[in-house]
Amino acid sequence: MPKHYRPAGKKKEGNAARYMTRSQALKSLQVNLNLFRRLCIVKGIFPREPKKKVKGNHHTYYHVKDIAFLQHEPLLEKFREIKTYQKKVLKAKSKKNEELARLLLTRQPTYKLDRLIRERYPTFPDALRDLDDCLTMVHLFAVLPASDREKLEVKRVHNCRRLSHEWQAYVSRTHSLRKVFVSVKGIYYQAEVEGQKITWLTPHAIQQVFTNDVDFSVLLTFLEFYETLLAFTNFKLYHSLNVKYPPILDSRLEALAADLYALSRYIDASSRGMTVEPKVDSSSSSQSNDREESELRLAQLQHQLPSSEPGALMHLVADNNEEVEEDEETRACKSLFKDLKFFLSREVPRESLLFVLPAFGGMVSWEGEGAPFKEDDECITHHIIDKPSAGHMYLSREYVQPQWIYDSVNARIILPTEKYLVGRIPPPHLSPFVDNEAEGYVPDYAETIKRLQAAARNEVLPLPGVGAGDLEDPQNLLYAGVMSRTEEAEAARNKKKMATLEKQYHEELKMEITGTSADDLPVEEEGEEGEEEDPEAAIKQVANDEDTRSKLSMSNKKRKLYEAMKMGLEKKNEGVKLIEERKRKLKKAQQ
Amino acid sequence: MGKQAKTKTSRKNKKAWRANISTEDIEDFFEKTTKDALSGGNLSAAPSEDLFHVDKSHDLPVRRKIEKRRERVLRVDSILKKNPFVQPISSSKPKSKTSKKTTVTESKTPKQAQKIDADDSEMVDLWGDDSKAERESNPRKMSKMTSIIPAVEVDPAGCSYNPAAESHEDMLAAAVAQEMQKVYKTELGPEPVPLTIDGDAVDEDERYFLGVDDGSEGEDDAEAGKEVSEAGDTSASEPKKLPKRVTRVVFNKRTRQKALLKKLTKEKLKEKISNEIDSLPNILEEISREDEEKQNKLVRRAIAKQDVLKIRPPRLGKHKFEAPPVQVLLTEEITGSLRKLKACCTLARDRFKSLEKRGILVPSKNIRRN
Repeated sequence: MPKHYRPAGKKKEGNAARYMTRSQALKSLQVNLNLFRRLCIVKGIFPREPKKKVKGNHHTYYHVKDIAFLQHEPLLEKFREIKTYQKKVLKAKSKKNEELARLLLTRQPTYKLDRLIRERYPTFPDALRDLDDCLTMVHLFAVLPASDREKLEVKRVHNCRRLSHEWQAYVSRTHSLRKVFVSVKGIYYQAEVEGQKITWLTPHAIQQVFTNDVDFSVLLTFLEFYETLLAFTNFKLYHSLNVKYPPILDSRLEALAADLYALSRYIDASSRGMTVEPKVDSSSSSQSNDREESELRLAQLQHQLPSSEPGALMHLVADNNEEVEEDEETRACKSLFKDLKFFLSREVPRESLLFVLPAFGGMVSWEGEGAPFKEDDECITHHIIDKPSAGHMYLSREYVQPQWIYDSVNARIILPTEKYLVGRIPPPHLSPFVDNEAEGYVPDYAETIKRLQAAARNEVLPLPGVGAGDLEDPQNLLYAGVMSRTEEAEAARNKKKMATLEKQYHEELKMEITGTSADDLPVEEEGEEGEEEDPEAAIKQVANDEDTRSKLSMSNKKRKLYEAMKMGLEKKNEGVKLIEERKRKLKKAQQ
Repeated sequence: MGKQAKTKTSRKNKKAWRANISTEDIEDFFEKTTKDALSGGNLSAAPSEDLFHVDKSHDLPVRRKIEKRRERVLRVDSILKKNPFVQPISSSKPKSKTSKKTTVTESKTPKQAQKIDADDSEMVDLWGDDSKAERESNPRKMSKMTSIIPAVEVDPAGCSYNPAAESHEDMLAAAVAQEMQKVYKTELGPEPVPLTIDGDAVDEDERYFLGVDDGSEGEDDAEAGKEVSEAGDTSASEPKKLPKRVTRVVFNKRTRQKALLKKLTKEKLKEKISNEIDSLPNILEEISREDEEKQNKLVRRAIAKQDVLKIRPPRLGKHKFEAPPVQVLLTEEITGSLRKLKACCTLARDRFKSLEKRGILVPSKNIRRN
């Protein structure tokens, strides 16, 4: 803390007055390091790098005002209270007074982070904007094994799983998923909720491990905050759908998970007693809750619905969503897999697909109890399989690899399945997060997808002149499009050529007029070129002028940044060239 | 005399006894007690507080300075007061009071919780009443993002589980470069001091002798040095010569030389100045060139700073941030099947590194000390 009284000649100013090291901060706050770290994480206070590190390069610095901000935190007092209370418990234990210790433990003071969330995110969009890290962390901890050593309890893992499923249920219900990218690290998703783009990463369905170079106590503190944040966000989102927030009664479901069959019957019985309203609610909140939970729910729904037709489920969902006004993209996403029914084999990543397919309007089932429809259902259109060969093949459906779904979702069209059929090596899985135009390099498969998209768009528009046969063959249309584009390019080239020819002609004329004075010819040429109506040069000139003018008007810092940006662009272009060259070489080598 | 003697007779006889003793005090006492009993208590025995009291009702208590100060509200507290979530906590209040308060609040909170329980949810809509006024009353503008690095960085296209050949090659090259950098660093760095050296162990006695030898050699050197210095001393021991007397002629010569030198330097200076004036355009050019160089240097630095901030946080502590290895499949690992994918199982590390990269955590080494 800055002292109010400073001895003469010891006036602190500048960085020395504005920053303090971590140990100084600890002293002034009178807390230990652990508590300080927790407070910082929860309050969102991070170390800073002062321009002059007064105490040396090996210290961590905090801003004085940040520490003052921490000092006024009511949570600090609460933490202290907890600490003293724990001393009591410890004392009771060391006196072998187990009863008292137990009693004390039941009345332990607790704290809540609600206020901090409100403080850090004053508005809801603020919270949504910062949800990336939160979602990734919660999804990660949902699959981590509970561990005593890391103090990760089973309860927290379950809570994480519940929260993540709640979030996924909301996203798939509102059809707000936009992009999916399967990488080595995990599966990246991007959703658009209330105008905010939220990206998160979920791990693959393999065992995650605790590594030695990670401080899990820090991560758990982060998780604690994020759990609260996500719970409140989910609450708000669910209420925007008119759904009650904690979607299921926990105690009942925990009991249910023990004995599946008996308890599903129990639920069935209890759900019959429910009114219609809650039925809608429960259906919309179910589906992708806990694995078993969702199974249960679906089974239960199946019982509820008179015809036990899975389509009815989607109907209920759709009805519920009608009130929410939808934009163009949401509608496109909603109707992508509209009339398709999918069946998942055992070996495909079920969690991910159960999330993705409903988000794009598809109906899904899987192998196992409680699935909405069985494998031998007649109206299944696609069977998702990831084996070299399928055993028994139904002729009425297509057997495709899971990548087909992801690629179709990213392209927003139903891609032809030939390349993704069982046993084939599928085409490369491209990242939807890469902007090909900005990057300047377009992979081959991206180009074919683009063509297909263009073809699909044409198909959607009702063309009176074109027969059904033509429409069915997108390749035709595609070629037509390509042809038109190449023609255009050629026309432009022709124009340019004509212009240059004309210029040459003019020059020759002038040469004749001035006579054959060969020495001053180049000078004249230079002079002429400025006046000549060469469109490209003129444009370039104008652009240059603009550039310099805007540069002059910019501040020094901005100009430097701008120049840095330009350099970066140049670098990128070079990279693209390199890639293209490499590609050419590869092709040559293959030939 | 006789009379006098008579008067001095003893009064101890019966008659005298009866006449001289008075019972007044006893009678007085009885009288008093009967009076007291009738009137209802002895007033003199009662304490004065019972009999009288000071009327303080109109007096104003003298305020103590401390109390006055306590009443003053700090700005922080006034800001916090606006927030309905914050309960007032004052460190200066006596402990008994605070404990009472906490018990009161505790008894209140379960009631509220129960109320909410009746609504079937413990939660409230935090952002239910989004209004500008509340946002303004926010005690502190929350610090902006610490870095420009996004929280979840999407891997480049080459890290896909089934990547396109070109982009995959690119990523692979990056990964190899990262790995090789480490190798080169160890190779090119100074060799670490070996913990053990080959060779025979030296005996305790021999070591003693070794030390002696070293010492003796040093002494020899010192002796040799001494001898040399002694030789020098003998030569210098002769009587010192006095400086020669400066004669008039020599003195005049010197002054003339001095004047000449002065003149020469003056001329040289003049020539130099004229030369410089002649080369003024050159100098100007040089200055401009220098300025340009300076400008370039500044721009380069700015660019480098921006570039660095994109990939690595500012130096926050003792250790530098080390980027985690790139998660990319080897060429022979690409199968095109999700089932056979060799996926990354250390996502926790990835998260941790991301936090470090964004400058939220201070990078550290050897987190687990056991």
